[in-house]
Amino acid sequence: MLKKLFVDFKNGLWRENPIIVLVIGMCPTLAVTNTVENGLAMGIATSFVLLSSEIVISTFKNYIPNNVRIPSFILIIATFVTFTDYFLKAFFPDIAASLSLFIPLIVVNCLILGRQEAFASKNPTHRAIADALGMGLGFTWVLVLLSAVRELLGMGSIFGIEILGSWYQPMVIMVLPAGAFISLGILVGLMNYLKRRGN
Amino acid sequence: MDTKISKLILTLTVIGIISAIALSFVYQWTTPYIEQHQMEAREEALRDVIPKAQEYEEVEKEGQIFFEGYNSGGNRTGVAMIASGPGYQNIIELMVGVNLNSQKVYGIKILTHEETPGLGARITGDDYKENYIDKPFGDYNVVKREPQSELEVEAIAGATISSKSVAKIVENAIEQIQDVYGGGA
Repeated sequence: MLKKLFVDFKNGLWRENPIIVLVIGMCPTLAVTNTVENGLAMGIATSFVLLSSEIVISTFKNYIPNNVRIPSFILIIATFVTFTDYFLKAFFPDIAASLSLFIPLIVVNCLILGRQEAFASKNPTHRAIADALGMGLGFTWVLVLLSAVRELLGMGSIFGIEILGSWYQPMVIMVLPAGAFISLGILVGLMNYLKRRGN
Repeated sequence: MDTKISKLILTLTVIGIISAIALSFVYQWTTPYIEQHQMEAREEALRDVIPKAQEYEEVEKEGQIFFEGYNSGGNRTGVAMIASGPGYQNIIELMVGVNLNSQKVYGIKILTHEETPGLGARITGDDYKENYIDKPFGDYNVVKREPQSELEVEAIAGATISSKSVAKIVENAIEQIQDVYGGGA
């Protein structure tokens, strides 16, 4: 039983990683990964929304008629996203300011709705929790890795702390949207290569 | 699939009501903190853009909010206003403080913006903001070299649009302050 839960958890980390394997939730992935702080905050916020909505939906799935399943899911997700938005604005105003409109946009992140459809609406609550934690962590680690690469090459710093000295001429393109596409493409390619070699 | 329509309506209504109730509690809980942050940010901005004042007063003139700074003797040392205009990605909102006696800008403070991090976002940095300290009123010229005349503003390398946007917003704000307060003190 515990082993099965661990399989659900591990699924999102690597084998079905939302970003590099399923390639969903691309909008925040490309938009907010210009600094590690933004990437990490986005990952945590998305994981929180994913976890709370998977818990609620897997618990109450039998009361939700099939015909209104999608609007019901969206309502529940939107509630948690609004909560997150207020919470960040009240207690982490700096992060809220730098992520600004990408927090409300978590509502339409297809990772969240996708997991409700594919997992939470078909499985018991404890398995949904394992799935949400795995997917959330899988989403977060890729965001952090991607933003670390972009911040280091684009600004010469990590978490706003200068790492590369003044000799380094920042590659401005890395903090622009084009840099997001380039680094994500290389990352996905690298992961696919590693996976093929593993088989 | 033949669920009765009344059940569908009921389900969505119940979810809607529960979520509205929950969110109204969250709203009540967080609003005081959010308002406090906004007030602190505004006070900090005022201290930056009207440096010599001891007390600040909010006044409404001709439908526009201005902030007046007074020194310990009760004399008005400067006027500030919040102005906004289009930036590279979205609206830039900033505060401008001016000295009406010497017809010069005290300084500016960016309140909100969504410029590109590492490029346009450097409008919030001291290097760029120093451009406006003790700047005479007038039409500003954004240049890509060391400023040679008093009305020139040095652009941020790679972010000319953001630099120009800020200069434009500052220009307009000064005009508005001058319109309302007249030329003199």
